[in-house]
Amino acid sequence: MAFYVAMELFRALAVLAEPPTPETKRLAELLGIGCPPTGDEYAELFLFQLYPYASVYLGPEGMLGGEARDRVAGFWRAIEVDPPTEPDHVAVLLGLYAHLAGLEDQASSDREKAALGSARSALLWEHLLSWLPVYLDKIIELAPEPYRRWSEVLMAALEEEAQRTVLPQTLPLHLRVIESGNLQKDTGDDVLQAVLAPIRCGMIVTRADLARAARLTGLGLRAGERRFALDALLAQDAPAMCRWFQDEAQTWVQRHLSRAAWLPAIAGDWAARAQGAADLLGGMGQDAAGVQAPSAVPSRMEP
Amino acid sequence: MTSHDLNERVRAAREEVESRGETFYPGPSRIHLASFPPKERWDDWIELDSTAWPERKERRFTLVPTTCFNCESACGLLAYIDRDTLQIRKFEGNPEHPGSRGRNCAKGPATLTQITDPDRILHPLKRVGERGEGKWQQVTWDEALDDIAGRIRLAVQEQRHNEVMYHVGRPGEDGYTERILAAWGVDGHNSHTNVCSSNARAGYQFWTGIDRPSPDFANAKVLLLISAHLETGHYFNPHAQRIMEAKQDGAKLIVFDTRLSNTATHADHWVAPYPGSEAAIILAFANDLIQRGRYNREFVRRWWNWQEYLAAEHPDLEATFENFEKVLKEIYAEYTFEFAAAESGTDEAVLRDIADMVATAGTRLATHNWRSAGAGNEGGWQVARTLFLLNALTGAVATEGGTSPNAWNKFVPKPIHTPPHPKVWNSLTWPMEYPLAMNELSFLLPHFLKEGRGTLDVYFTRVYNPVWTNPDGFSWIEVLSDESLIGLHVALTPTWNESAYFADYVLPMGHGPERHDLTSYETYNGQWIGFRQPVLRAMRERLGQPVSDTREVNPGEVWEENEFWIDLTWRIDPDGELGIRQYVESRNEPGTKLGVDEYYAYAFENSVPGLTGAAADEKLTPLEYMRRYGAFEIQSDMDPVYERAVPEAELEDVHENSLGRVFTRTPKPATTNIAPHAGPEGDDEGRRPAGVNVDGKILRGFPTPSGKLEFYSSTLAEWGWPEYALPTYIKSHIHRERLDRDQVVLISTFRLPVHIHTRSANAKWLNEIAHSNPLWVNPVDAAGIGVRTGDLVRVETEIGHFVVKAWVTEGIRPAVVACSHHMGRWKLHDSQQGSGTATANLEHHGSNWRLGRTNGAGPYKSDDPDSSRIWWTDVGVHQNLTFPVHPDPISGQHCWHQAVRVSKAHPDDRYGDVSVDEAKSRSVYADWLAKARSADQHSPDGTRRPFWLMRPLKPPKEAFRIPGKNATNSDCHE
Repeated sequence: MAFYVAMELFRALAVLAEPPTPETKRLAELLGIGCPPTGDEYAELFLFQLYPYASVYLGPEGMLGGEARDRVAGFWRAIEVDPPTEPDHVAVLLGLYAHLAGLEDQASSDREKAALGSARSALLWEHLLSWLPVYLDKIIELAPEPYRRWSEVLMAALEEEAQRTVLPQTLPLHLRVIESGNLQKDTGDDVLQAVLAPIRCGMIVTRADLARAARLTGLGLRAGERRFALDALLAQDAPAMCRWFQDEAQTWVQRHLSRAAWLPAIAGDWAARAQGAADLLGGMGQDAAGVQAPSAVPSRMEP
Repeated sequence: MTSHDLNERVRAAREEVESRGETFYPGPSRIHLASFPPKERWDDWIELDSTAWPERKERRFTLVPTTCFNCESACGLLAYIDRDTLQIRKFEGNPEHPGSRGRNCAKGPATLTQITDPDRILHPLKRVGERGEGKWQQVTWDEALDDIAGRIRLAVQEQRHNEVMYHVGRPGEDGYTERILAAWGVDGHNSHTNVCSSNARAGYQFWTGIDRPSPDFANAKVLLLISAHLETGHYFNPHAQRIMEAKQDGAKLIVFDTRLSNTATHADHWVAPYPGSEAAIILAFANDLIQRGRYNREFVRRWWNWQEYLAAEHPDLEATFENFEKVLKEIYAEYTFEFAAAESGTDEAVLRDIADMVATAGTRLATHNWRSAGAGNEGGWQVARTLFLLNALTGAVATEGGTSPNAWNKFVPKPIHTPPHPKVWNSLTWPMEYPLAMNELSFLLPHFLKEGRGTLDVYFTRVYNPVWTNPDGFSWIEVLSDESLIGLHVALTPTWNESAYFADYVLPMGHGPERHDLTSYETYNGQWIGFRQPVLRAMRERLGQPVSDTREVNPGEVWEENEFWIDLTWRIDPDGELGIRQYVESRNEPGTKLGVDEYYAYAFENSVPGLTGAAADEKLTPLEYMRRYGAFEIQSDMDPVYERAVPEAELEDVHENSLGRVFTRTPKPATTNIAPHAGPEGDDEGRRPAGVNVDGKILRGFPTPSGKLEFYSSTLAEWGWPEYALPTYIKSHIHRERLDRDQVVLISTFRLPVHIHTRSANAKWLNEIAHSNPLWVNPVDAAGIGVRTGDLVRVETEIGHFVVKAWVTEGIRPAVVACSHHMGRWKLHDSQQGSGTATANLEHHGSNWRLGRTNGAGPYKSDDPDSSRIWWTDVGVHQNLTFPVHPDPISGQHCWHQAVRVSKAHPDDRYGDVSVDEAKSRSVYADWLAKARSADQHSPDGTRRPFWLMRPLKPPKEAFRIPGKNATNSDCHE
C-alpha cells in the first residue's frame, strides 16, 4: 500500500511541475492547492527564478548538465531505462519515482519487489532528497500561492517517504563528490561563481535575491544574467555585498538545520556548506573593507 | 490533509475518469508525450490563439486525424479544425499513429500551406490552343469525365487496352488504383519506381522474394546505412526516430555517403567512398566474416540455397555444407580490405574497424539501402544484394534488431472487390529487352513512343511530373506535345507542374487532408494501417451532416481520387456490359455506385484483425474508429515468418523436390493481408509451393523459387546473367576506369530534407527554408578551375549542360560533385505564380533544346498576404533535363550518376541555363539499350519474364509467352 501511495501522489505532483494545461486545474483542486497556476506563474518560477533541474543544484558549475546530470542519467541506465532528454528535470524524476513505485506494487515476486524497492529508495535518497528539500524551501519563499502549496505538499510527501525508508549509511554521491568546505578563498573569480552554485555555497541565489540585495544595500541592479548582475553589485560595493551574502548564508544554515530531524546527514551537509560560505564571505568582506577603507598614505591627488 | 489522504483523492478521481475510457492526465511529458492532447478531448480542444497575443483568446478545435501525403512515410497528422469557422488552422502529429508516434518533419505541418496555397488548381481545366501554350478553360467534372471515359471505353471495346496508361509517382495508397486498372482490364500501370528504387528492390527480391527491406532499427546493435535516413531516407521520420533510439541505447551507426549528409554527421563511422564502390567495401566485410569464420554457420546452413548453388555450379562436388564453405571462401577471397580501400579511396584501417563492428552485431545488424548508391550506378542493384549478404551471413534476417523483408511488417487489407489481373501485356512498360526489370521502364517511354513501339490514347499522370523528375525531360516534352503519340494527357494534380502544362485536362486532386487512402509501411518490426481521410468531411459527419461526395467539403471543385476513379469507371461501363462496372458497385445497394464509406467499412470490418474488437471497446464501428484515430496497430514484435512450421492441415499430397522445396495440393489458406511479395510457381502437377524442408521440418521459408534465401539466383543464371548470379561487385558506368581525365562524377540523387519531389513547389514555408541547389565542389577541385562559392559553373553531361552556382565545401570528396535534384522548378507563364518556381522560356531548334530563366521567385499579390513577402529569388536549377537515360541492363533502374565536366561558366552563361541536344540523347539511349539481354534471346522457357517475380499488375501465364516462341523448359522451377 505504501508504494501505491507514492505512485498516485508523486505522479500528480510531477504533472504539476509541467507547464499548466487544462488538467492542471483538476489536479490543483484535488491536491488542495487552490487556484491552478497560470502559464506566466509557471514561466516566472521555473524559467526565470528556480530552474527545475537537479544538475543546477548539484553540479559545481551551478548550471544545467555536466557530471551531475550524467550521474542522474546513469541511474536511469542502471535500471535499464533509456534516459529521456532531460533526465534530471523535477517532473521526470517524480514521474520516475511514481513509475518505480507502481512497478514495485505490481511485482510478481518478492525478489523483484525487493529489487524495485531498492531502486526506488536509491532514487529517493540519491537524486531527490539530495537537493529537492533545499529547492522546495526556496520555492516556498519565493513562489506564488499555487506553487508554494505544491512545494509544501511535495515536501511533506518527501518527508513521509524518507521516514518510511531506511536511512542510508552514506551521503548521496552528489554531495560526496563535491565536498563541503570546497570554497577557496584565494580564487576570487571562482568564489563569485561558487555563490551561484548551490552545491558549493549551500544556498540558492536567484535573480529575485540579487534584486533584494540591491535594494537592501542601496546599490544599482544591472539588468542581465545573475553572474553579470552580481559582478556589477560587487564592483559597486564589495564589502556590503559580502556582508549581505554572509547574512544570507547564515540564514540558510538555519533553514537547512530545520530539516535535520528527518534528513540528519543531508541537512547537516548542506548546513556545513552554507556555514563555509558564510565564513568565507565574512572574511572576504573584511578584506574588501580593508582595501576600501581610507588609506593612511596620502593620495597624490591631494594638494 | 495527509499525503495519504491526498493520494486517495487522486486515485479515486483517476479511477473515475479512466472508467469512462478517458485519460486522467497524460503523465509528465518528458516521459509520456503529455504535450499531445488526450484523445478523448479531440472533439473539443481549447487552445489560446497565438495571433491574439497578448490577449488570452481561447479557440475551440476538433482534432481530426489523417495521414501526411508529402512523402511515402505516411506519418500521422492531426488537423486542428476551428469549430467556429470549420477551417483547418494547423497540423500536428498524431500520437495514436504507431509508425510516426506523434512526430513529424517539416513537411507535415507545411501541409497547411499547400491546402491554402492561393495558386492551387481548384477547378477542372481543359486545354484550348496548342499543348504547352498555357491556354485553359474551366470545364465541369461531368464534361471531363464523360470525355475521358468515352475514350477509354472505346479503347477497351476495340481491344486497344495498351493505349490506356496511368503513370504514378508516389502512390500513397496500397493498390487501390492498380485494382481500378485491373477492373478495366488494362496493363497500364506505369510507376516512377525505375527512377527511384528498382535497383535496391532487385537486390532484395533476388535474395528473399520480397522487394523491400524493413530494418528493426530501434533494437539493432549495429546499423549500416547506405542512405541519408536521418534527414530524407525512405520512411525517414519513423526510421530516424528509431535510429536515434538505437544510438541512445548504445548502438553503433555506420553511414556510407560520398556527401557529408546530416545523417553522416551522426555516424560513429562515416565512410565517403568513391561513388559506385560501395559493393566492393561490403564484400570486403563479407569476406572478412567468411575467412575468419565469424559468420552464423547454422543460419547459413539452414537458410541459404547452397545446395542449389553446388548442384548448378559445382556438380562434381559432394553437396555437403563443408564443401560449400570451402567454395565460399574462394568466391570472395579477392575482396580484401586492400582492394576495397583502393577501389573506394577510403582508409583500410577504418574498413577493418567497421568489419569488426559488423561481426559483433550478431543477429542485431540492421542494414538499409534504398536509393543513394543503389540508384546511382549501373549494377547498383548489387549494393542491396551485397548489403543483405551481411544480414544473411550473420543471421540478422527478420530478427529483433535485424532486417526483415518488408511484406512481413506490412498489412494491406483485402478490399471489397478484387478484380482479376489484366489478360494483356503492355510492352511499352515491360519491354522484351528487360525481362528482369523490377518495375516498368517508365523513363524510356518517350523513346519507345518515338520508335513506333506503340501509341497512347489516354495517358494519366498522377502525383507525377516526368518532365521535371525523369532524366531527359525534353524528350518527354517532345512526346507530350505530339498528339499523334499521346492522344489525351490527363494530369491529376493539386498544383501546377512542368508536365501538367502539356496536358489536355488538368484535374484538381486533393492534398493529404482532402482525400481517402489506406497505407501501411514497414517502419518497425510490426504491422499497422494508417487511414488518410478528408478531415473536413469527417468533421461534418461528426456534426451530423453526412457527406456523400468529398467535393462538397474540399476547396473549389477539388476532388479525391477514390471517388474520381469510381465515377470514371462507372462511366466507362455504365450498363455493366463490359464487365467493368461490377468492381465499383455497391454490395449493400446493388446497381448503385460504391461509396468510400462502404469501401473502407468493408476492409476495416472484414480484413483487419483486431480492429473490430478495439472499436467495439469504444462503442464504435471499425470505420468510426479509424475516422477517429487514423491508425491501428495490428501486431508488433513480429517473429521470423520463415521459421514458422507449415501446419499439417496444409500438407495434402505433398511433393518435395530434390532441393527440399515442398509443394502441396491444399489450397492456399485465406488471408486478409494482401501485402505484395513474389509468387514462386508450383510444380508441374499443379501443386502450389507451401514451404521448404529444413532439417526434416517443413517450414514456411521465403517466397523464392527455392524457398530459401537465394545466395545463388537461378533466375539470373538462367535468364542470361550467370556472371551475376551471386552477390558480387559490378563496376559502375562512372567507375574511374571509364572516365576521361577531365571528367568527375556528379551525384544528383540526394534530397533537401524539407522538400518533396514535385508537390512542394508551392509550399511557402518549405520554400522559405530551402530554395537552392548549389553544386557541391571540393576546395581542391574548386581551386583547379578557379571558382569560389557563389560563382557560376557550367556542368557538361553527355547530352548538354546546365549552369549552377558553386558551393565550395569539404563535405564532398575530390573528383566528385553533387547537386540535389529537389530544386529547379519552372513554369512557362508568369500567371502561374508561386514561391518555388522560376519563369522560364523554352527554345527548340532541330534537336537542340534550351531552357532559360526569365524571372526567379518573387513577391506577388494574392489572397495570401505572405505571397507579397517572398524575399528569395533563387529556386535552383533543373539539372535532370541534361541527363540522358541510363537503364540498368538487369534491373531497369535509371542509373543517375553522371560523368561530367565542370568549368567556370562561359561569358554568355546565365544562372539556370539548360541546354540539351536530343540527338545525343537518342544515341546514349541506344548505347544503353544495347547492353540489355533480351528475353527473346535469353529466356529459358519462351516467356517474357520469370513468372515468379513481382509485378504490380500480373497478367496470366499465357500473356507471358513470347509471341511465336514455344515453351522450351518446364514452367516450374524444380
